[in-house]
Formats: sequence, structure tokens, C-alpha cells
Amino acid sequence: MRLPRPPRISQLFFLLLFLVLFLLTEYRGSDRIVAAVNGFFRADPLTAVSSMLAVKGYLPLLFPGLLMLALSLFLGRFFCGWICPLGTVLDLATDRIGKLGPIRVLQGRAKYWLLLPLLFASLFGLNVAGILDPIAILLRALTFFFHPLLGETARGGWKSLYGLLGDRRDLLDPGYHLLRDYLLPFRETLYPLAFLSALLFFLVLFLERYEKRCWCRRLCPLGTLLGLVSRFGPLRRIPAKLCPDCRACREHCPTSFDRELLQMDECILCLQCALNCPSQRVRFDWRGMRPETGPVMERRVLLGGLFGGFVLARTFRFREPEAQARMLRPPGVREEGEFLEKCVRCGECMKVCLRSALYPALLQAGPEALYTPVLVPRLGYCEYNCTLCGQVCPTGAIPDLAVEAKKREVIGKAVFDKNHCLPFAKRVDCIVCEEHCPIPQKAIRSELVEVTGFQGEKLQVKQPYLVTELCNGCGICENVCPLEGKSAIEVFAVKDRTPIPLSADAPSAPPSRPPGGASPDPYAGSNG
Amino acid sequence: MERRRFIKLLGLCSIFLPGSLRQLLAAQGPVVAVSQGSDHAAAARRAIAALGGMQRFVKAGQTVVVKPNIGWDRAPQYAATTNPAVVKAVVEECLKAGAKKVKVFDRTCNDARRCYASSGIESALKGMKNVEVKHLEEERFKKVALNGRVLKECELYGEALSADVYINVPVAKHHGLSRLTLGMKNVMGIMGGNRGSIHKNLDQALADVNGYFRPQLTVIDATRILTAHGPQGGNLADVEVLNQVLASTDMVAADAYATTLFGLKPSDIAVTRTAYQRGLGEMNLDRIRVVKA
Repeated sequence: MRLPRPPRISQLFFLLLFLVLFLLTEYRGSDRIVAAVNGFFRADPLTAVSSMLAVKGYLPLLFPGLLMLALSLFLGRFFCGWICPLGTVLDLATDRIGKLGPIRVLQGRAKYWLLLPLLFASLFGLNVAGILDPIAILLRALTFFFHPLLGETARGGWKSLYGLLGDRRDLLDPGYHLLRDYLLPFRETLYPLAFLSALLFFLVLFLERYEKRCWCRRLCPLGTLLGLVSRFGPLRRIPAKLCPDCRACREHCPTSFDRELLQMDECILCLQCALNCPSQRVRFDWRGMRPETGPVMERRVLLGGLFGGFVLARTFRFREPEAQARMLRPPGVREEGEFLEKCVRCGECMKVCLRSALYPALLQAGPEALYTPVLVPRLGYCEYNCTLCGQVCPTGAIPDLAVEAKKREVIGKAVFDKNHCLPFAKRVDCIVCEEHCPIPQKAIRSELVEVTGFQGEKLQVKQPYLVTELCNGCGICENVCPLEGKSAIEVFAVKDRTPIPLSADAPSAPPSRPPGGASPDPYAGSNG
Repeated sequence: MERRRFIKLLGLCSIFLPGSLRQLLAAQGPVVAVSQGSDHAAAARRAIAALGGMQRFVKAGQTVVVKPNIGWDRAPQYAATTNPAVVKAVVEECLKAGAKKVKVFDRTCNDARRCYASSGIESALKGMKNVEVKHLEEERFKKVALNGRVLKECELYGEALSADVYINVPVAKHHGLSRLTLGMKNVMGIMGGNRGSIHKNLDQALADVNGYFRPQLTVIDATRILTAHGPQGGNLADVEVLNQVLASTDMVAADAYATTLFGLKPSDIAVTRTAYQRGLGEMNLDRIRVVKA
């Protein structure tokens, strides 16, 4: 057996790192989360370029992405061959998949026809590159499909074991706890776009049926972007062509040696040719700029891309007003337009969301907003003291706010539906929404009202009402409303998301009795 | 003694004795132990000791459930959750009395992980031998026929039902609907299903559940109480420091006494009133023996 080569070691290391970071994107008892969890996205040049084109400004969070792009100028597409976890997954799987030979349509300029419209669309304000970003494809497949499936299976098995063994199951507790604490998702969440995420991932895998790394060399917009840059770089393979006496490189090269000349914009620096060269002739070296490369692409492709991007940006904009009413964005997002420009649809926020409140949008906000996070209060709510989504967002589309600031950010405003709400419609007490409202001064309050019961009797009922100025739209009221199906209180989106002013935090009414003693910290308990 | 006198005496005895016996018993009344002190753990220990010590409730080798209020994602000083020092003292007393295992859990309203961490209870009990601080597992809820007035059946947590001893450790605080939440309402933490739906008949429903499932011991944490904006609070201006811990075997009596800490009468609280009317415990303060510990 041969020892693993340096590129393969690096690949496995980064794949493992990717998986570990994925599992770390979860609340683990601390309010702050390891900053590195979104590292792959922040070092993703496609994310950096498309986001910065969209906002037309520099995003400091994405500096590592630009750095990666600059490195690629000197080192070629080493990202694809040494780091990209999706590429590693393909490399690990490809040998078990029989090959049919390349697809003709995908050869040639297809990848530019994909990348350029995406980038130009970003320039026109539509940032959808994340949908085809390889890191995002893999992360979404894990977040929306594989991980919930694993959780569902393991937890389901554990539950049915309880049905079989009863409390004797507790003997197996330690083993299961290990699995539950480190591997399984805390909550079983089903995601609306699970099928699409899985489909895209399996499609990329399916392309291996035709040739090795087919997605990487023929379609991947990130790879294409890196290829564009590395084309101009000084790194060269020597000899550039196949040697007439050997031609073994053809067999070993997974990407770019099906032609006579090595294509540096397709070479992923896997070093297979150098490591397997029978006469040890092959090496990679810097030799100054490469004058011999032909034009990057025809003018036709460039103009076509420009036009395509423009058309995309204009036609993806349709939004149904009705659906807009429930377009609740994560806390801290104030401008829908700015949010859409920055959001890379990576799924990190949905993965980390404590109460499974965030779900990928299907078409609520038009095709433009596919995969962007939307809060669905009936399924989960925004936990008052939690700031995790802002912490993991790689582009700052969801700002990373201090807890005190986040609590005041407005997601939407709650509205009662008195035709459903029990104290109004059924004239019975309830106040579950008021009880759960996390605002210390209570955005939901109730008044004791005398009403006539359905039998004509006099009744006293606590009827809830909303203090709109205090409501931050966290959605817990809608989440816990005891009615079945539709809630009697619902959070609706609002254009004006000015945070709740600090002054609103002051106690609205003096406490019923003055606090006993002068202890500043009641928990310390110094008075008698 | 003449036969006639004997029969007379017997007759008179049969008339007066039962009454005086009843009075004798009634004078005993339920005991509520009240201890005060800024060392909250010591206060909790003294209150339990005043009832005869934990060994009265926990025998060697038994499994004990200690059920604090961990319902909300709030730090301990906000008085929305039970004081971790009190919980820890109760747990330690159980272990000292020979408990084989002590389980601590609550069905939380906010995210369980956050509640357990923020309440300080998880970290206070961390590393203790034979103590489990557990998140609830859905499959352990068991449907129980209560045959109550409003709740015919209800899901209760299996580990609470199967425990040898169940110790109720609520925090005394304000509540928007029931005015106060004390020992009786703390039982909601072992109820499954849609708990919000019992709000429309809260006092009757709680009497149904508490009538079926009764804690052997109730320890009410009144070291600091939430006087407004309950049950969650979140504002220190609503918190009052009392440094008191109450303990009783009669949860209604414990609740009744705790009500006075808020300047209210036991009969002001519908939950207490209903439970008293149903014979679940004593509510009249003059029939409750308060022992200062």
C-alpha cells in the first residue's frame, strides 16, 4: 500500500476540519461560538467577489477570500486540489464510479457562461452565486439533508428502544449520550429545501459518471474563478506538454491533461503527474508570466455574460406581496435589499439557530431570495438571549450584535387575530403569549375585562393586547399559542425596523413594594 | 362501678371524645418550616431539618427526583428560576440521607440548553456523584388517567412518576394569570403535551394533577422573589430579596404561607383556594403551624 501523498493528507485534513466546524456550529452552553465555524466561507473567493460586487464596497469579513484569490495567482487552483471539501468528497467517491466519457455540452466555454452571468448579476444587485458555490452546496446538503436524516434515524431508534426496553434502556445511556452530544443535531428539524439541497449535491456526484472531477473543471463557478486568476500566474508545469516518449500523465491527471498542453486554469495542483512520473521529469515552478496562453474567452462570452447577468438580475425580482407579509428576517437585518446583496445562502444561520426558527426561503421573496433565511414563528422562535446567527454569518448579512443590542432589534411586530384568540373568541382565560413574552416590560399585556358569557352570565376575562413599541417580533407568542394549527397571534414583517429605544427598557411601573435592603445584587443576598 | 353509671359514662364519652380527638388532631395542623438567612444553602438545610430532616423522606437506596423551576432563560438573580444554592442543598441532603440517585429536571419554556445553563443549576450540580441533571426526553411521557374535574387524562413524565421520592423545589414569583406561581404550579414542569391549553381552567386543572401526583416534600425558594412581570421577569427592579426558604409536607400550606410574602391572602390565589376546597391541603393560616428554623 502506498503512503498518502501530501495533497491527499491536506484534503483529508480540511474535510475533517470542515466536518468538525460543521458540528461546532451549534449551541454548546456558551453564548459565543468558535469564530472559525464560518472560516471556509470567509476564505471562499467566490463569496468574497460576488458579495463585494453586489454591495459595491469592501467587506472586511471576507478579506481571507481575497487573500485566497491572490494566493491562487501564484499557486494556481491549489484550493481545488488541496482544500475544497466538496472536491475531496468527489475524489473519495470517483474511483467507485464507472466513467462514460465527457459530456460534449459541458466542454469548452460552458463554465464561463455560468460564472460570468452570476458575477454580472451580482454587479446588478442580485447575489445568487452562493447557490452554486461548492462549499455552500456541501454545507447545505449536510445541514438540510444528511444531518437531520442522521438525527432522525438515531433518535427514532433510541426512542423505539425505549418502547422495547422501557427504563432498562438507561443502561445504554452513556453510549447514546456521546453520540447525542457530539454528533447528532440537538433538535430534529425538517427543512423545506432538503430535497433540493440533496438533489444538487447528488447531481454534482452524478457528474463523476462522465469524467473525474467533472463538476470542478466543467461547471464549478468557484473553480472557474480561481482558474481565471491562475491562468495569469507565474506557476507552470514543466514540461508543459506531454512528453512524446511517455504520456503517462494522461492516465494520472484527474482534470486537465486530456489535451496535449496542460491547462493551468483546470489544473488543481494535485501533483499526481509529478508524483507518478516514471522518469521524475515533471515539476512545478515559477517562470514569470505566461505569454503563450491564448485569450481567456471570446468577447461573445463576456458580452453574453454581461447580458445574462442583467437579465437574471431583472427577472428574478418578482415578489408576491402576500408572501412578503411573512418575510421575517433574522434579528439585526434592517434592509431587505442590503440583506439580499450580502447573504450567500450558506445555511450557517439555519444550522446554528437554537430554536429551529430559521428556514430557507423557497419562493416567498421571489426566486432572488432562494435559500435565504426566513423566520417561521409557528415552527420556532428567536431566543431572546441568543445571538448565534449573527456570529456565524460569514458576510455580516446578519450583523454580529451584542446581546443587549440584539434584544432590541425588530424582526417584525405581533398582531392579534381576535377571531381566534381564546379570551376574545371563546371568552376564557389564556395569556400564554403574555407569559412567554421575554421583554421585561412585556410587549403583550392583558386587561381584566367584564364580558357577557355565552349563557348570559357575567364573566371576568383577561384580554391580551400588544404594546407595539416594545415588540421585537421574536415570535415566541406565535410559537406557543395553544391553538391548533394557525396561531391567534402572528408576527408580520414591517418596513421600519428601528430598534426598540433604550428608554423603553426602563421599568414601566414601580415595583409593588420597594426592594428590601440596599444590596445591588439580590442574588448575593446580604440583607437579613 | 354501677352498671348504670358505667353506661352513662360510656354514652357521654361517645358524644364528647370524637370531637375532642378531632380538635386535638386539628391543633397539630400542617407544619411549614421557615428559615431565613443570607446563606441560602444553610437556610434550605435548616428548613428541612425543622421538618425532621431529609431522612424522614429519603431512605437509603431510593431514587429521588428534585424538581426545581428551570423554566426560563434567566440568570438566578432575576428570580424567575429556583436558586441553585437551594437546589444544591436539597440534592446534598438527599445524598446524605442515602439516596441512590438524584435526578434533577424540568420541562423548560425557553431552549432547555440555555435554561439549564443560565439558571446556574447545571453548573452548581456539575460533577456531583449520583446526580443527574437531565433534559426531558419526549418518549418518557406517560399518559395517566387523572379522572379529574377538567383533566380526564394527562401526560406526566415517567421519571417523576417512577421516583421513590419526589421533592418539589419551586421559586416563589408573580404570574400574569394565576397571580403567583408556587409549589402547586411547579407540577407543570412534569406535564407533557400542550400545557398552554390548561390555562383556560388553570386552578381546576392544577388541582386535578396535584391531586393525583403529590410531592412528599415541597421546598419553596423565597430567597428572592419576583413581584411583577412574572413568570419571566427580567428586570431587577421587580425582584425583592427575602432570604427565606420554606419547607412543608403539605404543598397547599406551603403555598398559602408563601402567598403572605407577597402581601396577599391565600384565598386571593385561585389555585390555592381550589386545592384547599378539594381537600389537597390546608390553606387557613391559623391552622398552619409555622416553625421558624
